[in-house]
Amino acid sequence: MEQLLQHLVNAIILGSTYALLGIGLTFIFGIMRVVNFAHGELYTFGAYMVYLFSVILGVNFLLAIAIAIVLGVLLGAAIEYTLLRKLRGADVDTTMLVMIGAWIIMQNGEQLIWSGVAKSIPTPFPEEPLSLGLVSVAWSRVFVFVVAIALIILAQTIIQRTRLGKAMRATFQDRDTAALMGININVIYLATFALGSGLASAAGALLGPIFIVMPTMGNLAVLKAFAIVILGGLGNMKGAAIGGFVLALVEEFGAGYVSSGYRDAMGFLLIILVLMVKPTGLFARSERIG
Amino acid sequence: MKAFNSTLAAFALVLAASSASADPIKIGINQPLTGSVAASGNFITDGAKLAAEAINANGGVLGEQIELVVEDNKSNPSEAAAAAEKLITRDEVSAMVGAWGSSFTLAVMPKLEEYGVPMVVETASSSKVTSAGNPWVFRISATSEMEAKAFSPMVGQIGVKKADFLVVNNDWGLGASAEFKKMLEASGVATGMVETMDPAAQDVSAQLAKIKSSDADTLFVTTGFEQLSLVLKQAKAQGLDRRIITTGGSQFPDRLVEQLGSAAEGSLHILFFAPWFPDAAANPEVAKRYIDAWNGKGYDASGLSDGFRGYDAVTALAAAIEKAGAPDREAIRKALWEIDVKGVNGNIKFEKAGVEGSESGQNLPNVYVVQIKDGKLSLPNL
Amino acid sequence: MTTTMQWLFVAALAGLPLVMHDQYFFHVLIMMGIFTIGAMSLNLLLGYTGQLSLGHVAFFGIGAYTSALVSLGFDIQITETYTFVLAPKPAWFSLICSVTLAGLCGWFIGKLSFRVRGAYFVIVTISFAEVVRLVALNWVDLTEGPMALNNIPPLATALPGFDSGPLQRKIVNYYIVLGVAVFSFLVIKRIIQSRLGRAMVALRENEALAKSVGIDVTRYLVLAAIASAAIAGAAGGLYAHYVRIVDPDVFLFIYTVTMVIMVVSGGKGTLAGPVVGGVIFGLLPEFLRGHTVPEVQWMIYGALMILIVYFLPQGIVPAVNKWWTAYRSKRDQVVATNVSLGRNPQEQEG
Repeated sequence: MEQLLQHLVNAIILGSTYALLGIGLTFIFGIMRVVNFAHGELYTFGAYMVYLFSVILGVNFLLAIAIAIVLGVLLGAAIEYTLLRKLRGADVDTTMLVMIGAWIIMQNGEQLIWSGVAKSIPTPFPEEPLSLGLVSVAWSRVFVFVVAIALIILAQTIIQRTRLGKAMRATFQDRDTAALMGININVIYLATFALGSGLASAAGALLGPIFIVMPTMGNLAVLKAFAIVILGGLGNMKGAAIGGFVLALVEEFGAGYVSSGYRDAMGFLLIILVLMVKPTGLFARSERIG
Repeated sequence: MKAFNSTLAAFALVLAASSASADPIKIGINQPLTGSVAASGNFITDGAKLAAEAINANGGVLGEQIELVVEDNKSNPSEAAAAAEKLITRDEVSAMVGAWGSSFTLAVMPKLEEYGVPMVVETASSSKVTSAGNPWVFRISATSEMEAKAFSPMVGQIGVKKADFLVVNNDWGLGASAEFKKMLEASGVATGMVETMDPAAQDVSAQLAKIKSSDADTLFVTTGFEQLSLVLKQAKAQGLDRRIITTGGSQFPDRLVEQLGSAAEGSLHILFFAPWFPDAAANPEVAKRYIDAWNGKGYDASGLSDGFRGYDAVTALAAAIEKAGAPDREAIRKALWEIDVKGVNGNIKFEKAGVEGSESGQNLPNVYVVQIKDGKLSLPNL
Repeated sequence: MTTTMQWLFVAALAGLPLVMHDQYFFHVLIMMGIFTIGAMSLNLLLGYTGQLSLGHVAFFGIGAYTSALVSLGFDIQITETYTFVLAPKPAWFSLICSVTLAGLCGWFIGKLSFRVRGAYFVIVTISFAEVVRLVALNWVDLTEGPMALNNIPPLATALPGFDSGPLQRKIVNYYIVLGVAVFSFLVIKRIIQSRLGRAMVALRENEALAKSVGIDVTRYLVLAAIASAAIAGAAGGLYAHYVRIVDPDVFLFIYTVTMVIMVVSGGKGTLAGPVVGGVIFGLLPEFLRGHTVPEVQWMIYGALMILIVYFLPQGIVPAVNKWWTAYRSKRDQVVATNVSLGRNPQEQEG
């Protein structure tokens, strides 16, 4: 019972960051039809920015995380503007290849700047864990959970309640009609990629201090983000959020009760299974957003 | 097609040019500069460079300068073999230092036999390295068996009753858990579970949850610094109340104190050089010279306890090349049997080990145990 | 590229050991050859059927592991009392096994993943490679996990009388790789010119139309996957016997990316494309070395990939062909005015 509860708590906390990663990726795919291979690098970028500001420049930890998210948004906007804008209307494969190129450049750039040696980021939270009856959980992880949920709600609010969000949803439904109605597609795409990138950067900024920061940390993250998105159905935001938690549950219980070595394999086996049974993902009759 | 042929010709010229100007004596350094154990590999490379600089400042070896050719093995066995292939066939090094981990070193060993190149093994601890019958291998680092033996007097002293193991699932971790288990059982201590983790794994909470359910009072951990810091952090978060003892010599205890605070408190670390206590070293004057050189470069002080491996390896090779009289691979191999030099860890001298007729060299290094107590490092008496 | 030119190219490669005696030179060419074979096999799927299979390295890795295990021997405990034991087999036999098993995996994965298209297909194939990597990492009893399978017997010893030194062994390996590369090229060429190849191209151009004229789309896609996987398995087997060590990192995504770059830059859907791409990206690191650190080298790779997608979306070979055709037709026009005879249109690749 105790072990089961501990796994459950671990899974819920991990799931919140997976959901952040997945929502960003599915959002970009849903609106722009771009499979963003650089997503994991934005995750890594977020973690390194926290390291830069919090450890090297001595900025307050919370402020460093906020800066990392903002910089992630800006980097996303820059990638969209320089690499993707010229490829409007290109097929999925073409943009995918360009994003793979961007992924290689960014990862090696990170390695060049930060070296291949892992970095560790101290957190200002108490070392004694929070005890919840049978289970205990580190305060740093509680913080991650709270911020991740807040960011998910924020992203959802932007899409549901703002004019920009409305325009995004309209673009998702039908790009050409949206353009005819006077929506500036370039602005929408820029905002979409920036927002999705910001969420990935946030996930990295939150998880970096819990684990260690390495140039290659994004590789598994991007593959897991793909798994989450497939579970939820490409372009389905709610699906991605649920997919994030499902993946975390499967991994955590798989590691606890089946084999810890196959922890990371669980998600990929799950996708293969899902696609055999329901090729459009668990939560989608057809692709939708919002 | 023409373009391709001329490229090939140009390529051939580049190769010819690079092999013609081989004046300095080349030593290949095969270390993990990126990947899961990169922190240690970089320090060892720094240590090797310090030794080469010191030797070159004193006129080099045989009147020639030593040139270190560094290749990154990316913390991976296949990459270690590929790096060795490059160092031998492309850079035509006279001898090598490598390759950090036991699995990486074992991956390089067939290349040593194929091309006939001697290698000083600076870190690897698996018994397989010297028992394979490879006559080109000269190990200056301790085997896990030596570590366990050196630690055995402490077992009763600190009162270990039952021990579990959490080790990285490669030759290093599995070898260490086997040897320490043997030693503990011989000392009348019960042993419990052996949990393993992938070298690149970042989340070990599942293994720790299992270990938490056992009734042991001590946990032996064998892995590199990066993963060790995660293990200690996550053990604390799960409320795992155990005496933690780490093996292998790449733990950077001062950095653990700095980064983890109370999560590192009370832990014991088996090391091969304790730079905080240079007077306790076997050759204090060599140790101080090394520490001064290191600090003079402004390198991270927490790397001192690992960087000496590179320093000692290059020192040993330089002595062997001097004795061989020429940078010839076979002559260096023969000369390595005859050296007896003062290193940071102690005197470096190779004993015969492994298969008779094709013995490998094994040094008998000193072992130290350091404890973190009240946020400070101390040297408990062995 | 005409057939004559292709054979001249092979003859030039075959003649290299007569003039070159540098071990490292052949090491570079052997590795280049192995990855070029991988790229040629990927081209069958990526170029001819138009399916962006990004899990291709799985077949390469399965080939490598199969070859390693069969030639080293292994045992698997199946039940409490029964253990399957395989004694070490000769290298040529293990190579055949690697081709067969990789082909079988191609059939299985083809059956599974061709139920979906586009982005879903890409992600299923990546997932497959990742699962295989994690199995290789964790099934320590069989694969040695992160300790790697070491001391794999070399192929070169299979030819007696040559084993007199490292350079000779390199040259023998070189000829073996060259032979397999030429053989794979010819096999792929036959496939492309057969009914299967025409069906593949038809469904790449317009799947709905291909379906409507009665092409059994999934069947042809699966057949292409089998052929592609088997050739990738051969490349993996060669890799295992040449580098003589295999660890789970052989399944890393970056190796698929390397092959994708070779195919896309050379020209997907052309026979010569992967060869040209393989030569360029196989030799490029050697030229960049000494000028840059490895990280910058990789950044140049990434940048080249982006530039090629922007400026040469079809790849180098089709671009050169187009230029050559334009040049020839200009010259032919001059000739034609004199002879007043039409020429056959330029022979097109694939």
